[in-house]
Amino acid sequence: MIRGGRSHRDYDVLAVALALGAVFIYAGADKIRNPLQFADSIAAFAILPTMFIDPLALGLPTFEVACGLLLVAPRTRRFGALALALSSALFFLALVSALLRGLTLDCGCFGIGTPSRPRMWLELGLDAILFGGSLFVYLRSLGATKAAGAEPFI
Amino acid sequence: MPEPSASYQVSNFNRQIVRDLGGVVLIAILSLGAGLVMNRLSPSPLPIVYQTPERRFDVELTSLVAAAPFKIAPAATVGLAEFRSAAETKGTLILDARPSVFFDQGHVPGAYNLARDNFAQDYRHLSTVLKAAGDQPIIVYCSGGECHDSRLVGNALLTLGFANVRIFTGGWEAWSAAKLPVSTGDVR
Repeated sequence: MIRGGRSHRDYDVLAVALALGAVFIYAGADKIRNPLQFADSIAAFAILPTMFIDPLALGLPTFEVACGLLLVAPRTRRFGALALALSSALFFLALVSALLRGLTLDCGCFGIGTPSRPRMWLELGLDAILFGGSLFVYLRSLGATKAAGAEPFI
Repeated sequence: MPEPSASYQVSNFNRQIVRDLGGVVLIAILSLGAGLVMNRLSPSPLPIVYQTPERRFDVELTSLVAAAPFKIAPAATVGLAEFRSAAETKGTLILDARPSVFFDQGHVPGAYNLARDNFAQDYRHLSTVLKAAGDQPIIVYCSGGECHDSRLVGNALLTLGFANVRIFTGGWEAWSAAKLPVSTGDVR
């Protein structure tokens, strides 16, 4: 059903993209305010070598904010969506690895909190939802770009 | 107009994904650059190489005893008689700020070694004793005379929140000259 050049499904994509954008802008901005605590959260996973922890703690928050902003504009949406799908998948795998190793930590994903296993499971579920949402937006934006014949922004 | 073949569509789709992944890499590089610039402009920037909380605390503690010993007023000192009385009763925590090699050779009975030159490690080692001390009076001594280690350690303890800290300025020199009891060994 087409109304005014947009279908219901276009609005679905817009709604999901805006929700994802808001979540990641919030998450990124919170980490930008507390880079030291976020670096400690990354270190608690005991996955990365020490030399990569601080660069990741400095780069990831701005990456999340940038991707959140890219989700807003239709021409850049699919880059933001793909980036967030990939990062959500990585967060998911990191959390699974920590849970399997019996670690109890604060992932620092959405603000600083106390280390807790139930919260880790909750954040794992949230990561799965964010991954699904980002993939949905990406695949739909890919289709929309193809249908419109528009060249991507990048 | 003829429909594009299936293989053409798949190859086009793959090209698109590769191009999008290139875009993601570009976003990641720009974000890292922006993060590093913001960190550089921050009043308390992160070091490029991560330091554990324990390491940061060590650095902070070490910097405390590296400061000039100007904060302790002359009033925050005790003489030999008062120090002896405090050492003989159990209500005062006695700390020896000399290097461990001197502490092992001889120290005031009941004293703990909180060496100025190994402050961070000794402080963590004594954390239970210090925590248990609470508001209990603390007296710090070192070699005596012009020795500043006790003042530096005392100053660091005041900065760390211990309120009742005093210095025995006569130090080990005055204690041993008075032929008072001595303990030896590495009980720290």
